[in-house]
Amino acid sequence: MASSTADVAVAVGRLPPVGPRPPLGLRAASLLLGALFALPAAYLIWRTFAADSDPAGLVLTGRTLDPLRRTLQLAGLVSLTAMLVGTALAWLTTRTDLPAARLWRVLLPLPLVVPTFVGAAAMIRTVNPGGLLDDLVSAVGIGTTPELRGLTGAWLVLTLFTYPYVYLPAAARFRQLPGSLEDSARVLGDGPWRTFGRVCLPQAAPAIGAGTVLVFLYAVSDFGAVVLLRYDTLTRAINTSYLTDQAVALALSSVLLALAAVVVVAERWLSARADHRPTTGATRPIVYPLGRWRLPALGLVVGWVAVALGGPLASLVDWSLGGLIRSRGGGRGLTIDGGDVVGATWGSLQVGVLAAGVAIAAVLPIAYLSARHRSTIGTVAAALVISTFALPGLLVALSVRFWTLPVWADAVVGDTMALLIFAYVVRFGSLAMGVTLVAVRSVPPRLGDAAATLGAGRWRRLRTVDLPIMVPGLSAGAGLVLLSVMKELPISLLVSPLGYSNLATRIFLSFQDAFVAEAGILALVLVALSFVLSWFLVIRRADHL
Amino acid sequence: MDVAKRTDRAEPPSATGSVAIDGLHHRYDADDVLVGVDLAIEAGTSLALLGPSGCGKTTLLRAIAGLERPQRGTIAIDGETVTGPSTWVPPERRRAGLVFQDWALFPTRSVAGNVGYGLPRSGRRERVADALELVGLAGLDDRMPATLSGGQQQRVALARALAPEPRLLLLDEPFSNLDASRRAEVRTELRALLAGIGTTSVFVTHDQEEAFVLGDRVALMHEGRVVQVDTPQGLYERPDSRWAATFVGDAVLVDGLANGDVASTVLGPVPLDRPMAGRVEVLIRPEQLRLTGRASAPRDAPTDQVPAPAAGVIQAIDYHGHDAVVHLLVGDLPVRVRTGPAPPGTVGEAVGLLFAGRPATAFDGAADGGGPSVDPA
Repeated sequence: MASSTADVAVAVGRLPPVGPRPPLGLRAASLLLGALFALPAAYLIWRTFAADSDPAGLVLTGRTLDPLRRTLQLAGLVSLTAMLVGTALAWLTTRTDLPAARLWRVLLPLPLVVPTFVGAAAMIRTVNPGGLLDDLVSAVGIGTTPELRGLTGAWLVLTLFTYPYVYLPAAARFRQLPGSLEDSARVLGDGPWRTFGRVCLPQAAPAIGAGTVLVFLYAVSDFGAVVLLRYDTLTRAINTSYLTDQAVALALSSVLLALAAVVVVAERWLSARADHRPTTGATRPIVYPLGRWRLPALGLVVGWVAVALGGPLASLVDWSLGGLIRSRGGGRGLTIDGGDVVGATWGSLQVGVLAAGVAIAAVLPIAYLSARHRSTIGTVAAALVISTFALPGLLVALSVRFWTLPVWADAVVGDTMALLIFAYVVRFGSLAMGVTLVAVRSVPPRLGDAAATLGAGRWRRLRTVDLPIMVPGLSAGAGLVLLSVMKELPISLLVSPLGYSNLATRIFLSFQDAFVAEAGILALVLVALSFVLSWFLVIRRADHL
Repeated sequence: MDVAKRTDRAEPPSATGSVAIDGLHHRYDADDVLVGVDLAIEAGTSLALLGPSGCGKTTLLRAIAGLERPQRGTIAIDGETVTGPSTWVPPERRRAGLVFQDWALFPTRSVAGNVGYGLPRSGRRERVADALELVGLAGLDDRMPATLSGGQQQRVALARALAPEPRLLLLDEPFSNLDASRRAEVRTELRALLAGIGTTSVFVTHDQEEAFVLGDRVALMHEGRVVQVDTPQGLYERPDSRWAATFVGDAVLVDGLANGDVASTVLGPVPLDRPMAGRVEVLIRPEQLRLTGRASAPRDAPTDQVPAPAAGVIQAIDYHGHDAVVHLLVGDLPVRVRTGPAPPGTVGEAVGLLFAGRPATAFDGAADGGGPSVDPA
């Protein structure tokens, strides 16, 4: 997820070499695939402005403007807080003599592995009356904790689980800045704060800005946390209206789509300005001594890790253990057994792996066409796939659901696994595209040329030269898609065929039905799986370590 | 420059791999890279494509291999048209081996996997072993390319290109990725190897010395055209144009007045290699001039030398050990003279000089006029 911005930035702007005319089959496949990726958004726009229900008139009424205002308020607060916290933590853990800095650099990105709906659920049950923290507080005798709902709750939860989008690029950037620049500033008479403000911050600003916009987009598109915390943003309003009032849901969707598009355009603009050259000079980054601030700084970092990581994990464990002990002790039994856990896990993994494979296979022809040939079709198809980055999962789900409303459509594609996979692939196509483009570009075209002069035709070249080199990159990309699919909630909820469930849907529904022990156990499995995948795919390779 | 060294090459009886290129045009976007290239390469010979960077020589090589598809013109290998208005033979069916500038070894395959890539399954092991033996890498079959030195990688690339027994071996700047100290050695090895197998070879280089040592003939390229094809000696001694004269070897162009076989110049009378008349520019190489000692030496000093017709002041001396190059100013004309390791005179001194080489080539007209052949600039 965090790498998608950089990959998307790579995807545009580099001109491919002029080669021989691309094969007709490649162009035809790219055209078709690009159109498929564009279909859900195009359908929503068409329905909003052309279909008979005429929801366009609703776009500028209170029914859409109030949720829009709340969405902007939430996203603004979350991105601002995440920017400040992410930057401060990045600075403390990369450029100061903070004790155990490496440990914090490993721990601080980890909240990314907690889906926001799990985080929201954990927060609600920890802080609200009857939760772990509330129990502790009342045991000490201070009173009760305030109830966590609405804007404050959503703000807190989204900040806690999205700040790594700022932390990761900021930390990577701070570690790249060569110390000689800051030394020069110091020698020229700037104090440490002025040096930070005049030398370090300007150089890290594009990275921080791009990360902040990503947090904004995440907050705008978030579904699980706002639904659980009952804050009526665009996504929650769409969710409550799509069955009862299609016209309102469509109007809300158009507003959400437009907002996300604006954010992504801003993100593109910012990351194009971000300096992607590694400026690792010969000089190592300077480490600043914190002096008497060392302990307060450590306290801040420990506190943050405890709230963002320790708190949610502790309450998940608390629910699970509570439920297990209760059922062992003859109390109310659990509504799930080991088979259910394995089944839901299998459901997540199986469909995730399938969607990842399909996503990579679907973007590979487009990546080839746009990276290896100069072709308008390739450029347009790649742009279409990358633009789905702006499409919130809820809108993909909604669009796909609306298709299957007509009886004939329902009979053909409705309620099928293929439809679910299609929705996932569209949702995470831009992620797959970024990684696949990098993989295709990692194969020097000369190797294919060499194989051709040795008598190998196109398919043999792909099989024996390109694929062996691309396999590590493509598997990492597939892993990222799998990770995202496992954490995806709205598509899983709305598009899953009858009889299919996965970890995300079961956690969400269990929690909504107040089966917290069940939600806790399943959430621990999801977080553990997500952690393992993230560790191998994102965190271990990250350059902030 | 030693130019009399490759008379001993034996022509193999059944040489294949002749190439005929006719009117080749190729453009990238708005850039004309090849502008009507005509070139014939005899089977079993080696041809150097020499030219400055950006002259289109690598594009021409890739076009012969089938990796570029020029918009106009034809290429025929052994009489079979492989590129033409209505003909296109893809690279995998041209049987032209190509050694890439950076070797382009497949990083996921071992040495044997690379060399055997273009071979049929039956007999692959033996042929891989033979090819590795040929380039002196026997026994390295299982090594991965990344673990080899630059020189070894180059040999693997060569073995890989030669293993399928191509009609034609193409080499793109084959020595540019090697240390300068190893180039001469590898070059000599490659020449012996190519001479032994008798395959037609075409290689691209921007290094004149490389082109002269390795090429039976040299095709000089400039701005998308082949401007001259000749033996190294012919190219050096009788360049067709001012540009060729100055690109190949060190040269000074001196204004003169031709009268038959002789031109009079500030350096004295210079014999010409063909009769001309009127204003000319005479091509003079540093080794064609000789210094005759101090110009200020007493007239009655005993000397066995012809009296010097011209005098110049020494500006600098580049000492190379086996010889030296003396930079002089004759009037306001800068001139370079190649001398023995002990040049007569030191910086600041005036010395006499005279023309003492084979008859020189001259171009018609003054410096901005046309030469005897098309000047592509």
